[in-house]
Amino acid sequence: MTSEKKPGKTARYGMMIDVDRCTGCGACMVACAVENNIPPAHDGADDRNGITWIRVFQVDNGQDYPNRRSAFVPVLCQQCGKDAPCVAVCPQQAVQVDPATGIVGQMPERCLGCRYCMAACPYHARYFNWWDPAWPAGMEKTLNPDVAPRMRGVVEKCNFCHGRWHAAKQLAAADGHAIEAVDYVPACVEACPTGAIRFGDLNQPESAPAQAAKNGNCFRLLEKIGTEPKIYYRSKKDWVRQIASAPKPGQIAPKLAGKETSRG
Amino acid sequence: MNSTRRDLFKLVGGSVVGAFFTPAPWRLIADSALWSENWPGIPRPARGEVRTRFTNCALCPAGCAVRARCVGDQPVALMGVPGHPLSHGALCPFGLTAHHLPYLPSRLKQGPAKEAAETVSAAISKCGPSEQVAVLDLRPGRTASWTYRRAMASVKNGLYLAPPSPLGGSAAFDLQEAKTVLSFGAPLLDGWGTPGNVIAARENFRLIQAEPLESRTASLADLWLPIRPGSEEALAQAIANVLADRRGQGLGGAPADSAGRGQGNLAAVTGLTEQQITSVAEELAHNGPALVLDGGQAPAAMELNRLLGSLGRTIVARRETPVPEAWKKAAPVTNLASVPDGSIRVLLIDESAVDGYLPWGTIERKLVRDNPLVVTFAWSRQGYGRYAQYVLPTAVYPEVFDDIPPAIDSVAAAFRIAAPLVAPPAGMVNPSEFIGGLAGLPAKDALRERADAIHKAGRGTLFTYAGAQSTAVRDMNPDDFWKALNEGGCWLDAVDESGASHRFSWPANADDEKRSSAPPEDLPLVAITCETRAAAAPLSPLMSKLYQESNLRLAANHAVLNPVTARACGVAEGARAILQTRCGSAQIEISLDSGVPPGVVKVAAGAGMIDLCGGPGGHPTRAKVVVA
Repeated sequence: MTSEKKPGKTARYGMMIDVDRCTGCGACMVACAVENNIPPAHDGADDRNGITWIRVFQVDNGQDYPNRRSAFVPVLCQQCGKDAPCVAVCPQQAVQVDPATGIVGQMPERCLGCRYCMAACPYHARYFNWWDPAWPAGMEKTLNPDVAPRMRGVVEKCNFCHGRWHAAKQLAAADGHAIEAVDYVPACVEACPTGAIRFGDLNQPESAPAQAAKNGNCFRLLEKIGTEPKIYYRSKKDWVRQIASAPKPGQIAPKLAGKETSRG
Repeated sequence: MNSTRRDLFKLVGGSVVGAFFTPAPWRLIADSALWSENWPGIPRPARGEVRTRFTNCALCPAGCAVRARCVGDQPVALMGVPGHPLSHGALCPFGLTAHHLPYLPSRLKQGPAKEAAETVSAAISKCGPSEQVAVLDLRPGRTASWTYRRAMASVKNGLYLAPPSPLGGSAAFDLQEAKTVLSFGAPLLDGWGTPGNVIAARENFRLIQAEPLESRTASLADLWLPIRPGSEEALAQAIANVLADRRGQGLGGAPADSAGRGQGNLAAVTGLTEQQITSVAEELAHNGPALVLDGGQAPAAMELNRLLGSLGRTIVARRETPVPEAWKKAAPVTNLASVPDGSIRVLLIDESAVDGYLPWGTIERKLVRDNPLVVTFAWSRQGYGRYAQYVLPTAVYPEVFDDIPPAIDSVAAAFRIAAPLVAPPAGMVNPSEFIGGLAGLPAKDALRERADAIHKAGRGTLFTYAGAQSTAVRDMNPDDFWKALNEGGCWLDAVDESGASHRFSWPANADDEKRSSAPPEDLPLVAITCETRAAAAPLSPLMSKLYQESNLRLAANHAVLNPVTARACGVAEGARAILQTRCGSAQIEISLDSGVPPGVVKVAAGAGMIDLCGGPGGHPTRAKVVVA
């Protein structure tokens, strides 16, 4: 098993997602698909077997009309900072943590398609290619040249647009400086029209995720299992913060039904 | 030692078994995985020089600025332009995937343009004195719209039709100035106006959303008022009563509305309490400037704006983008509702740019009974092409070369061109050249002529995207101005300091026939359409991430019912059912959600569903759901 190392000058990239700002437009989902050459849905695909590296779930407070209140929670690979379950179970070492960035990477060319990692991931953030990737005739011209499409039978997931990181690193090296915060953001962060998703290095105290980590309204998904996710969420609503302990994204915590409170 | 055949078999067998304990088979698997990654079935992205180009999105009137990452000449990713004065760097999911639109399988590739032109010319010449020739422009205010108006001015009995527009199209809602916004179902945070502009202003105003369903906007509003379907006007009246009562202190109680309903009755109609209504009215009055928006532009909501003193503060006059003097001899803009029924002999529909899809029923009743001619210019047959004799294929954004009129929240006039990022295929028809050709008007250089007219007026500034700089128009020569517009520049008018007074007007509600005090017994439900952005616009196949591979947006032909309503209708989760209205029926797939009010069926607004249930913001349509 490879676990994340924390050398002095390496980055530890993370995100802060402000749930109260997310309008559920889905721009992050399609920007991700465009950037990472994720194919359109096969005819037989649905919400259980479709591929969305980032997926916006509509969650609610569990009450009926007219007391129902909803929020939108984007869920992606939580980039576990400690004991990432998918890393531990992969028989092929197709999942590894990049010590330079803290990004949990997936190498499809090593993947056997055993889907142990999918079973192990507590965030349901891994997706299996059930079909050959296919685009309508002519649309393959619009593919991003920096990312190889994956074949049928392998698992894939969010890697914080690692191709962008490589490109930014090369540009920064060519300019003779280290990679900076403005040089590299994932596609979902760039596309979010409300600025609900913010990205940065958790090792930099002034970065948005690092600031968020100190905020009382912040939470992480399934924090109690000790995987130290690097995706921080923020909401002023109590019932939204309770989402963190739900067993599956899109569900509410069982104890929440009937309670709606707001921290204001 | 003698080796036997048995030893040989043992050696081979042992080697085979032992090989499984070496890295060899795993290496074989890995190599075959590497091979399979590159097999011919998996497309290889093209490589080439990476360039950045700029344009403006033509999918809706927001006209958001677009930065295209291109490999060679092919756009591979679209993003917003940070720092843009109108769109503020935002781009919606429809805009982010627009570079896929030229490759849609459902796209029309050819059409009988010549035959259609001859048929239309013949039909125009045979028009009777009381029969009309009309162009229905679904995105008025463009340069192409002026071509249509000029063409219709020179055609016998020519009419230029446009969908009803709030405030008559010559004014804008200024969200930056508003402190309190009351929205009657307007999708303020889901594609209304210019999304980037709304988001930029959002921190400054308190949003009160009044609508029956908890939409995206309602879920993010500061206050959601879950009113009964179709009670928007009653709520507006009740608020107006409170405001009038405050003004006329000591003049007596709140007046009744035109139907003689008192405040208590009005509150009962909306499903809110009198206290809630009073509280909203007080907030609008005290935390001004206020702004009242309505998804359907009902006169009652606009009347509230007048009472709140919003006219001239949060609803401001907007000058028209200059046009050449010669163009002003044009047919007036006519509201479709004011056209007599059964009077249009020839109808040409420009569906290449759609802001709002009108139900076919409202158009059909304006056509003559015997053999009217309908020609539509569209990217597919999914819209009015289902009813037209001729469907002529048009270029889609980002192939299209068109301008985008200012959005509803743009307080200054603007001129932006959707410069093509890829060339359209052969056989596409340009609607303005086709319709201009009927009247002998050359339309090919109309955009350049209008740009010259703007330059000649000498007002405003040009914002260029590559450098994020604003330059005064008077400091540019006409060729540079035109070149910059073609490279994704945006002309913004100067603030009008002439002090000219503006008379605000809004379209009368001509849809009264849908109002009904008692619900018909055979149609016990109310149908409410949502997801109207996807009604007739082309959608990238990647939008399946939102409509099919997740439940984020309601897909076409899906409907959501409250479990109680579903039980009454005899349908269950995932069941196929038939939705029936007075306009027809359609098959739907049922989902259950206790967040939907009982007695309501929430449907996704495809073109067919709008024909069935009416457009967004209109009076609710009565419906019935039966087992398929």
